Amino acid sequence: MKTKAMEDAAAIYRTPGELLGSAFDYIAGTGTYTFQNKVYASLVGVQHIVEARSGAADLRPSIEVRREKQRGAIPQPGDIVTAKIAKVQARMASADIVCVGQRAVKEKFTGTVRQQDVRATEIDKVDMHASFRPGDIIRAEVLSLGDARAYYLSTAKNELGVVSAMSVAGATMVPISWQEMQCPLTNQTEPRKVAKVE
Amino acid sequence: MEYISPEGLRLDGRRPMEMRQLHAELGVIAKADGSATFEMGNTKVVAAVYGPREVQNRSQQLQEQALVRCEYSMATFSTGERRKRGKGDRRSTEISLVIRQTMESAILTHLLPRSQIDIFVQVLQADGGTRSACINAAALALADAGIPMRDLVASCAAGFLNNTPLLDLNYTEDSGGGPDVTVGVFPKLDKISLLQMDSKLPIDLFEKVLELATEGAKATAEYMRERLSENTRQLVSARGLLRF
Repeated sequence: MKTKAMEDAAAIYRTPGELLGSAFDYIAGTGTYTFQNKVYASLVGVQHIVEARSGAADLRPSIEVRREKQRGAIPQPGDIVTAKIAKVQARMASADIVCVGQRAVKEKFTGTVRQQDVRATEIDKVDMHASFRPGDIIRAEVLSLGDARAYYLSTAKNELGVVSAMSVAGATMVPISWQEMQCPLTNQTEPRKVAKVE
Repeated sequence: MEYISPEGLRLDGRRPMEMRQLHAELGVIAKADGSATFEMGNTKVVAAVYGPREVQNRSQQLQEQALVRCEYSMATFSTGERRKRGKGDRRSTEISLVIRQTMESAILTHLLPRSQIDIFVQVLQADGGTRSACINAAALALADAGIPMRDLVASCAAGFLNNTPLLDLNYTEDSGGGPDVTVGVFPKLDKISLLQMDSKLPIDLFEKVLELATEGAKATAEYMRERLSENTRQLVSARGLLRF
């Protein structure tokens, strides 16, 4: 078994411009580039050599330079994000993305939940104002990169939707069904697209 | 003025082909995507890189490549005489342009279309060779930000005073009125990306001075690589501790 210390000792650190090998021996992976049939590093990081999968058309291993410094999280299609509703309109609601999976975002990303993406059934009868309110915390899936301004988000799954909401009285509401939440102070119910949180 | 003593030593005690002490730190500004400080003797500069990020001004967006912007400024306390320096004066606009062009030639801009990279460089202490120090700091900050580059860019200056080529001029030598050659090189590709000279020099001497500056830049690059590898090693070990 390889220990962590051995791994560290074997790790090769690369900086931009370093020659990694011949382009005939390796496929240039992420963090590298090819110039005159030679593969060079383009990033600072640790060198990795990834063997080709058996049966692949190209049997050369690919060479990669992976960064050790983590960037802020960026939403990708398919990710589950946590967002805060900013504005609710008749056909869509806009939200500010705060977390991607478990990681908080560093920059500002906006998302929109369109009317047809709020729930899975009866999608043409959705009332946006009866699904979200400004200030609600929602869990949503990233559908696509959307337009230039915002990501397209979807809450059309049982486990997606509003996870936390404030009532008019100012208390955190308790979910009572998949369409309603109740205020513990006034016992008033408000309509929401409620997420089924495990 | 006598710039080299009879013993062959310069005003600050260096030999003609000796560089000043180098020192670099990475990740000095938490909010920036990449940052670095770079010291060459008493010259100290800090560089911060933001991006690749969305283009702020849509009309400047480039469809095929990244937009690189650079801003150079000098701190009021950077020189002996305290003076308010704007960032819009002739000298800083010119240096901003020089840094931007040098960095743009190193960055693989075609990999980051429709995005913007901002480089901010500030001189904290000026003692000659600020141009070189700024380029070195900016290159380190870009590497720290994880922006793909063809090669590191390293820069160094050389001059010619008292019939001797001198490497890495300090402020007094710089004000000596002799020629000052600044080069920016791609050390591994062995190419020059920047070459500037003020005043005149015969061609045979120029070649000597240029070669000296290039050698200096390559030595600087070697130091920069060392620092980057050291930084990666620290990040790897920090992550190793988190894994358990």
